[in-house]
Amino acid sequence: MVGWEVPIGAAIAFSFGAIGTGWAQSRIGAAGAGAIAEKPETAGTIIILEAIPETLVILGFVVAAMIILMVK
Amino acid sequence: MDWGYINARMRGMKSRLLDHHTLDNLVLQPDLDSLESELEKTPYREDLIEARGRYAGMPAIEHALRNNFVRTFRKVLDFSKEKEALLYIRIFLHRWDVQNIKTVLRGKNIHITNEEILECIVPAGELDEVTLTELVRQPDMKAVIDLLATWRIPYATPLTSAFPEFAKNGDLGMLECALDRYYYEDALLAVKDKSRNNAMIRDILSLEVDVVNIKTALRMIRDGVAPDEARKFLLPGGRELDAKKLDRLLALHTIEDALAMLANTRYRFLSGIPEEVLRAQKISVIEKKLERYLVQEGVRLFLGDPLSVASLIGYFWAKYNEITNIRVISRCKTADFSIENLREELVYV
Repeated sequence: MVGWEVPIGAAIAFSFGAIGTGWAQSRIGAAGAGAIAEKPETAGTIIILEAIPETLVILGFVVAAMIILMVK
Repeated sequence: MDWGYINARMRGMKSRLLDHHTLDNLVLQPDLDSLESELEKTPYREDLIEARGRYAGMPAIEHALRNNFVRTFRKVLDFSKEKEALLYIRIFLHRWDVQNIKTVLRGKNIHITNEEILECIVPAGELDEVTLTELVRQPDMKAVIDLLATWRIPYATPLTSAFPEFAKNGDLGMLECALDRYYYEDALLAVKDKSRNNAMIRDILSLEVDVVNIKTALRMIRDGVAPDEARKFLLPGGRELDAKKLDRLLALHTIEDALAMLANTRYRFLSGIPEEVLRAQKISVIEKKLERYLVQEGVRLFLGDPLSVASLIGYFWAKYNEITNIRVISRCKTADFSIENLREELVYV
């Protein structure tokens, strides 16, 4: 029988990762938009840079999934 | 406020400024025509082609540079919508308003034609070309000041206060000094709150005040003006030279003594001025050194914190310096100036 701590723990793991990603992407997005406005040829690089913080939320998701699946 | 967007745009724009190699290439051009052809390979191409439609030779280059300068600053103003950024940009742009009003007043004072005055105007500030053209159309200086007051443009206040004194002794310097004092006091007041960005702007403004005051003081010492009279032309708010130090500076009798006193300040680089320059009392050499220092300090800001106003101000200085350098090169190409001397006149940053 799993207590309430497990879903709460999973939610924390996922939500903090998502918040961190959102914050990082907002900053990168603003700077990236400025860079693309001046140098459109940098668009490819900027899109890759914009995607890098996604790893954080994926990590949060994996940790959340591990908590739910493995803690019994 | 998110400075990331502005910083990225500033860095993009700075990457299009002419590098050392391109500038050197311009210096090596034998005449004005080849200089124009070289400039067409730079971001000034569009402006140059447009200017050539109406002018030829030196005036075409002058107009192209002016249009490019105005367009660049309008562009920065257009994409910086946040209140904090606008405050800092306006402080920098207002200096062009002050400069333009001075140009109009100077023109009216020496009674040159309206067309000649308009040629010298750089509408990069908040007063646009239409406003400035209307000012130029006024018959005399008093009418210019009255029109500024009617439009509730703040520069009317210092001009109205200083006008009676100007009317008495005919010294245009009184009006110009009143304008400068108003500009710097207003700008320093706008950034008086404690914040990193405000401190940066305060720092560069105070440095400018110092430079203006040193130049004024040296001229006063050279011309033997009494300290009480000279004090009227000094600006408050300097970084290193406060009222007391400036008083001591004005009490000196020779340029050498003044430079010796400045040797204890950050302006100690002036001590390296050759003796023959000092003996001939060539203030222009000292002024050039001070201007160079100011530009270098301004551009150095670009290396500061990218999430602050630093890149914005650094870019403004770098752009201003580039335009000045190209103007110097083109002017020297019309005169018989050696390449070595021309290189010495330029400020590489």
